[in-house]
Amino acid sequence: MSSSIVRFGLRRVSSLSVFASAVNEAVAEPAVGSPSLGHSTRPHFPILHQEVNGSKLVYLDNAATSQKPTVVLKALQNYYEGYNSNVHRGIHFLSAKATDEYESARRKVASFINASDSREIVFTKNASEAINLVAYSWGLANLKPEDEIILTVAEHHSAIVPWQIVAEKVGAVLKFVDLNQDGIPDISKLKDMFSRKTKIVVAHHVSNVLASVLPIRDIAQWAHDVGAKVLVDACQSVPHMVVDVQSLNVDFLVASSHKMCGPTGIGFLYGKIDLLSSMPPFLGGGEMISDVYLDHSTYAEPPSRFEAGTPAIGEAIGLGAAIDYLSGIGMQTIHDYEVELGSYLYERLLSVPNIRIYGPAPSENVQRAALCSFNVENLHPTDLATFLDQQHGVAIRSGHHCAQPLHRFLGVSSSARASLYFYNTKEDVDYFIHALNDTVNFFNSFK
Amino acid sequence: MVSSTAVTTTTLFTPSSSSSSFSSSSYSSSYSSSSFSSPLSPKPNTFTPSKSNAVNAVNALCTKPKLRSNVADKLNNIASEFTSLSQPIDRVKRLLHYASLLPPFLDADRVPANRVVGCATQVWVVAEIDERRRMRFRADSDSEISKGFCWCLVWILDGAKPEEVLMVDREDLADVNVGLGMSLKAHSRTNTWHNVLFTMQTAAKDLL
Repeated sequence: MSSSIVRFGLRRVSSLSVFASAVNEAVAEPAVGSPSLGHSTRPHFPILHQEVNGSKLVYLDNAATSQKPTVVLKALQNYYEGYNSNVHRGIHFLSAKATDEYESARRKVASFINASDSREIVFTKNASEAINLVAYSWGLANLKPEDEIILTVAEHHSAIVPWQIVAEKVGAVLKFVDLNQDGIPDISKLKDMFSRKTKIVVAHHVSNVLASVLPIRDIAQWAHDVGAKVLVDACQSVPHMVVDVQSLNVDFLVASSHKMCGPTGIGFLYGKIDLLSSMPPFLGGGEMISDVYLDHSTYAEPPSRFEAGTPAIGEAIGLGAAIDYLSGIGMQTIHDYEVELGSYLYERLLSVPNIRIYGPAPSENVQRAALCSFNVENLHPTDLATFLDQQHGVAIRSGHHCAQPLHRFLGVSSSARASLYFYNTKEDVDYFIHALNDTVNFFNSFK
Repeated sequence: MVSSTAVTTTTLFTPSSSSSSFSSSSYSSSYSSSSFSSPLSPKPNTFTPSKSNAVNAVNALCTKPKLRSNVADKLNNIASEFTSLSQPIDRVKRLLHYASLLPPFLDADRVPANRVVGCATQVWVVAEIDERRRMRFRADSDSEISKGFCWCLVWILDGAKPEEVLMVDREDLADVNVGLGMSLKAHSRTNTWHNVLFTMQTAAKDLL
């Protein structure tokens, strides 16, 4: 990752040729000089150009879901208008085209995360289902009593609950790594937890609350040294940075389409092909079988083995279009821009009185994702978020962000979170800070 | 867009409104009042109901035999009051004022057993039935806006018969359109209204 941090000026992108022909919307902000990536890409997202509650929408809830560029919307429209059909079994023209596009989307995902084989990509309805797939299929088949599953307290509920259920069924034990003094998962403690009892590590790549980044390659190495597997929740990394599953050498990795400019209703599981081939089915149904008899069935090879029933065809094709779009910009370009914009957000937030921002302070050695979870003393984050929405049109998230154990560890029940994507701008951040200060003053005036 | 919202805050509530019959000190007896005026109106029925769909829906609601009661009158008043406030900031101010009227809540009652399930904020409700078979509700939240919601629901339902509490259904509340202009029909995990009402009704059912 880039270590450069620009405090009060964002890197300008001299040109952006990505799908320019598909863009009809006017540029929202007047460009001064060469536009930033945020200014260049905002016109691609029709939803951003609207007013909510009488104010210009400033969308800062990207860690929950991202907005969709026109090219993705058009891909969905083209599919339903031009070649909607079921995949894999029809022999007619539409079915063949739909199958080609669906499998093309799988290859795009594989290429995007540098999987060696597109058979290593299983489409699921979301990242949660992908984790459940591993827990129920690999977990139930491989875990025994007293086996240990290592997680961090900062995991999303989606990464905790499936393993609680499976561990209870098989008698395995969950072991959690807590945070160190810097407010990030304690890697040295995690390293010390490994033993021959360890069978799998379930860890986020980028925290959806702390904005911290885990050293996944090291964790995978430590796990493999004791014969354990690694499952990475990459929902907050795949949309924002280059992720290379071969370089990281992870066994499983999950991500979600809707957080990376794609449609809802689809996510994916990456699994090493030898692992997937050894795993029993997760769900039964059409598509995943080889032959069905009245008393038993034989199962298809991966990935079909894990894709029971008619898949989310249009959504997969939409995800493929999103990947084309992101790749056209370049994930490194997106990441570099977000590092700068995220640092700007962090620095501006620090200026708000009585604020506590969770996670590590950014520095040359410590990078944060482009999101900040925070609390302002004596103000409930939901009150902040409500007023920001109602009075200023600023969309942020409040609550526990599906990370209750982490919030308990932090000593709070909830937090507010502003999360950026590459189509956000410095002006968005400035407006948010102005609105936040106004919100804090408003509530304080009632005390 | 309002650049400085705090300036007008202190002028919204006049001394007369803050000393209305629905102030904190007289709140517990408010249900027995013969007039169900807007809680902040110094004089009953001085507000002009808007012609919004929400108010029409409430008017329709009040003609229903099942809710021809004080509860329906109070729903109507709350709806009229909030729909007359067109600016979100004014609705927030009103809720914060109501939050300030909520009686102190005992720390001993702030326990998991009294937590309202499903809210984005922490909300606690204590429900009891008195010797006259009337429901008595107390509520609290760590969020000021949620406290405002709680005050409204307690004001509507405290002192009602259990049967009356059960007669309010989610859709009645959705049509009331009280609050911040957000869709109350949304079955959102953040919908404090629905979750608190559900808790109150569950308690009423248990105490029947």
